[in-house]
Amino acid sequence: MTGRKVLMDFEVTPTSHTLEAYLARGGYQALAKALRGMKPGEVTQEIVDSGLQGRGGAAFPAGRKWQVIDPHDGQPHYLVANADEGEPGTFKDRWVLEHSPHTLLESMLIASYALGVRHSFIYIRGEFDLPWRRVSAAIEEAYAAGYFGENILGTGFSCDIFVFRGAGAYVCGEASSLLASIEGSRGYPRNRPPRLTVKGLFQRPTVVNNVETLSNLAWIIGHGAAAFRQIGTPKSPGTRLISVSGHIARPGVYEVELGYSWAKFLHDECGGVSCDRELKAVIPGGISSQVLTGRDAKVLTPHDVETMILDHDALWQAGSSLGSGGMIVIAEGTCMVSLLRVMLRFYHHESCGQCTPCREGMGWLHRIVDRILAGKGRPEDIDLMYRISKANDGTTICGLGDAAGYATVAMLDRFRDEFDWCVEHKRSKYDGNLECRPST
Amino acid sequence: MPTIYIDGRPVEAAEDQTVMQAARAAGVEIPHFCWHPALSVPGNCRICMVEVEGKGTDIACNMPVKAGMKVFTNSDEVVAHRKAILQLTLLNHPVDCGICDKAGECTLQDYHYRYNGEPSVSVDAKVPATKFNELSDRIVLDNERCILCSRCVRFTREVSGSNGLGIEHRADHSRVQPSSDGAFRGDPYSDNVVDLCPVGALLSRRFLYRSRVWYLEPTPSVCPGCERGCTINVWHRLEDWKLKSVATKENSRIARVTPLENPAVNGPWICNKGRDLADLFERPRTTQAKVGGRPAEIDEAVAAARRLIATATRPVALVSSWGSNEELEAFARHLGGRLACFVKADHRPREGEVLEDGLLIKAGKNPNSRRARELFGDAAPSFAPGTDLVLCWGEGFDPALLPAGAKLIVIGSFFDAATDRADVLLPASTQLERDGHYTNFEGVVSAFAACFPRPAGVADAEALFGLLAGEDAT
Amino acid sequence: MRHLIPEFEAMKKRLPPGENGVLVLPCLKRIQEDRGYVADEDIDGLVEYLGVPRIQVEEVLSFYGMLRRAPIGRFHLQVCHNVSCSMHGAERLLDRLQSRLGIAPGQTTPDGRFTLSRVECLGSCGTAPVLMVNERYYELQSEPLLDVLLEELGKP
Ligand SMILES: Cc1cc2nc3c(=O)[nH]c(=O)nc-3n(C[C@H](O)[C@H](O)[C@H](O)COP(=O)(O)O)c2cc1C
Ligand code: SF4
Ligand code: SF4
Ligand code: FES
Ligand code: FES
Repeated sequence: MTGRKVLMDFEVTPTSHTLEAYLARGGYQALAKALRGMKPGEVTQEIVDSGLQGRGGAAFPAGRKWQVIDPHDGQPHYLVANADEGEPGTFKDRWVLEHSPHTLLESMLIASYALGVRHSFIYIRGEFDLPWRRVSAAIEEAYAAGYFGENILGTGFSCDIFVFRGAGAYVCGEASSLLASIEGSRGYPRNRPPRLTVKGLFQRPTVVNNVETLSNLAWIIGHGAAAFRQIGTPKSPGTRLISVSGHIARPGVYEVELGYSWAKFLHDECGGVSCDRELKAVIPGGISSQVLTGRDAKVLTPHDVETMILDHDALWQAGSSLGSGGMIVIAEGTCMVSLLRVMLRFYHHESCGQCTPCREGMGWLHRIVDRILAGKGRPEDIDLMYRISKANDGTTICGLGDAAGYATVAMLDRFRDEFDWCVEHKRSKYDGNLECRPST
Repeated sequence: MPTIYIDGRPVEAAEDQTVMQAARAAGVEIPHFCWHPALSVPGNCRICMVEVEGKGTDIACNMPVKAGMKVFTNSDEVVAHRKAILQLTLLNHPVDCGICDKAGECTLQDYHYRYNGEPSVSVDAKVPATKFNELSDRIVLDNERCILCSRCVRFTREVSGSNGLGIEHRADHSRVQPSSDGAFRGDPYSDNVVDLCPVGALLSRRFLYRSRVWYLEPTPSVCPGCERGCTINVWHRLEDWKLKSVATKENSRIARVTPLENPAVNGPWICNKGRDLADLFERPRTTQAKVGGRPAEIDEAVAAARRLIATATRPVALVSSWGSNEELEAFARHLGGRLACFVKADHRPREGEVLEDGLLIKAGKNPNSRRARELFGDAAPSFAPGTDLVLCWGEGFDPALLPAGAKLIVIGSFFDAATDRADVLLPASTQLERDGHYTNFEGVVSAFAACFPRPAGVADAEALFGLLAGEDAT
Repeated sequence: MRHLIPEFEAMKKRLPPGENGVLVLPCLKRIQEDRGYVADEDIDGLVEYLGVPRIQVEEVLSFYGMLRRAPIGRFHLQVCHNVSCSMHGAERLLDRLQSRLGIAPGQTTPDGRFTLSRVECLGSCGTAPVLMVNERYYELQSEPLLDVLLEELGKP
């Protein structure tokens, strides 16, 4: 067990995603509690008190975001659940969408009530088919049961929901890009100010939260902020859905109480590194979070147990972040130069092309690392990669460019010898290997 | 009025200004590509980074002013950022300034010399792009040179409304492209994007490879294309660079026309008709005075015309709505009492021309109708029975309408049916050969100045009026 | 696309009124599902139906990786080549598909049956390597499984 549960607190069966099963688990009682017994401001206050942080990547306090919105200011407000889940290594929102869609819907209703939202959206990545079917079916069930539409539960509160399907653009996971996409444009992110909570969708105040962030609400309203604070650490309350992949024995989505031992999680729950290899590195929160060497992360062996915990602060201190919770485990024998190449190919492909440092920088980095792997690297190329990454640091419109820069710098910093080796010997030290297969 | 500090200097700013605007108003230029005072703020070029004490760096064009903020436009970090951004801006740029019309007035070139100056640090191949992308018969786009600032795109969305341009694809494959329905081709304001483009990506086909810009100088003028009277710069060869032996004709040709920013009339824009003034002014000119269809000395022709006026019993004058305020007033003074005067529309809308829109273009296609009507009334030209002389000043008179037996004097600059039919023809200078003013439809008076000398055999109309009235020549 | 207009109208039911742009992407996706790609005449129809500028639709079509302007093969094999899938042999899968189908990524077999593409992370990294065949995910793939899959899809 990985600590207490908020979201994965039921057994997944072929029907556990249905309304019937959800109601049997006590579903939609938190909604009734909020609509019948709480004022919108009280709901928001409860979320503030819970200390819930965003689960989409930046761990921004959800309550602080909501407080910007005045539900009674007479203009429309919008709520969007971010189900774009494009960060490589991340597949946890998909778990919610497939297995517990009503948790998200109930939570979105609660949020809509608190924020004065009449029309809400789920923005789901275009490739997700089953998750989309499950959510759509759940929405129809919820409409039929009177949870959406006019005069919900006879309280006078009305709210509609629309599932908006993306069409293959990673950057559309970025909140302002996502809104541009809903509005029917290219997904170009935009500068702040103004913040989205001031001018968002259709120029109206808008809250965008990650699927997992929102899905915590039903529990928080149902059990109270104080109970939520009992879970996790004082600064990072609650749990995180961690999706583990890469060279790991038991990949998958796990709900981990914040503050849980990282080594114990990796070695006990996830079965440790595959093929009995040593741990070389971990990318803790999607490829846009900085890679840590197994040594830095102090998760090399199960005996490192208590040294490193999974919570936001601990990871920041270690020089990385829990990001999107997409944990990629990398075994010894993996070529980090090739790994960076795969990452940079991705950023190059996905840059929206709007701002200069990212548009030009991603392609440049990609071409340089390609060249290094092709045996045509020059010693100064490593410095050049640092410079290009630095040129994206804090200079871009959205986080894509600068996160890519940080991720590149971390790879160079922490595996510098491998890059130098590759330049010097004109080939990868590990023959470009990315796989971890049983030796035959 | 919050006070902010730019590089230590206190600057008064308006509440709703950005740092970019406040700095500009105070005469501090923060480098920028994408920002333009008349367009929305996309903040995509990232060259306008400034540092704010206690807050780090961010773009000035999207930074609201805050009382007491301390902005630094040249701190070490800003300088380093600027340089890095410029190197990235130039990464896939072909640097073919040697064959680029924009060289000499290119923002990228200027900034490179000012803020970077280093040779390229890249050894990798540039991403290829279309070199000669024909957007319309007026404009070509060099996608290699485009730095994707989106000014042109925003212009077609926010100003002209044609939605003629967009940016397609992503990352370093992003390319400005025209809408496939040809909306850009139909945009009567399309040429403004050439001026807006901070680099040499959008080029006017009229001007393509015609001159280096440093051989040219602008003369302020007024577009005569419609009653709006947009103020313009007429560009022509600098005196010191006049061609001496070959192609000397270029010396007295309009190289290009650009808007002369004017908040009272046209803001920073003009329509395409204004760009095409060369077409208007380079039509065949009357340079030879004629009497009875035969070449004559100017004095002889003036004398003949004066006799006709003196002896006519019912003379009518058709006054040019292309005359300057000064000319119209002179006409009224010298000839207004002698002839029955009507204001004539020298030009009517041409086939396919935009008649009127909500931006600049007005239906009246003559620059000075307002002043002409103030002096000579609104009545449409008509010939009372017994009219025996018509003095036609300017274009647009159909000689078929000439009353039977009436004589015709034409004071004009270009050949047309009336000049062919004239009993006396007096060649007159054009707007480009004299100074003057027009009064636009709203009563705003704008000045134009001579760009070229008067050709031989051509007189200023203003001088002719006095002579025709029988007053002594000086 | 005109026969789809009743469906588009139905979508409006749960959307904020008066915001037509919001239908651009949903309509394009529905059109593509219907025809297999988005044709010029579809754009004409959509521009007229929604009253949005044509360039907006063209920008959208070129921006999003899943939208296409030309037909492709009956089975679209999209192989994820991002980090976790690469760590589980995505390149081997691609090699196998290329040699079995005789086409490179981005190409369609001459019989119009298969189109092969490389794609970025599909959000299924725990079951890497992954590929999509049309809208379905095939997880935990391997070369032998690919051979079975190709057989199912009618590869002789
Ligand atoms: C390039 C980029 C991609 C992103 N992709 C996602 C995503 O797929 N899902 C997500 O929830 N947040 C994503 N984000 C973060 C969002 O911008 C936003 O911060 C988040 O949805 C807010 O929700 P939260 O506060 O609940 O985490 C992305 C950010 C960037 C810069
Ligand atoms: S950082 Fe990259 S993805 Fe983000 S806005 Fe700029 S170009 Fe687009
Ligand atoms: S063509 Fe010129 S104005 Fe248009 S985006 Fe490119 S650089 Fe900017
Ligand atoms: S001028 Fe500010 S970002 Fe371009
Ligand atoms: S890396 Fe292939 S599905 Fe995520």
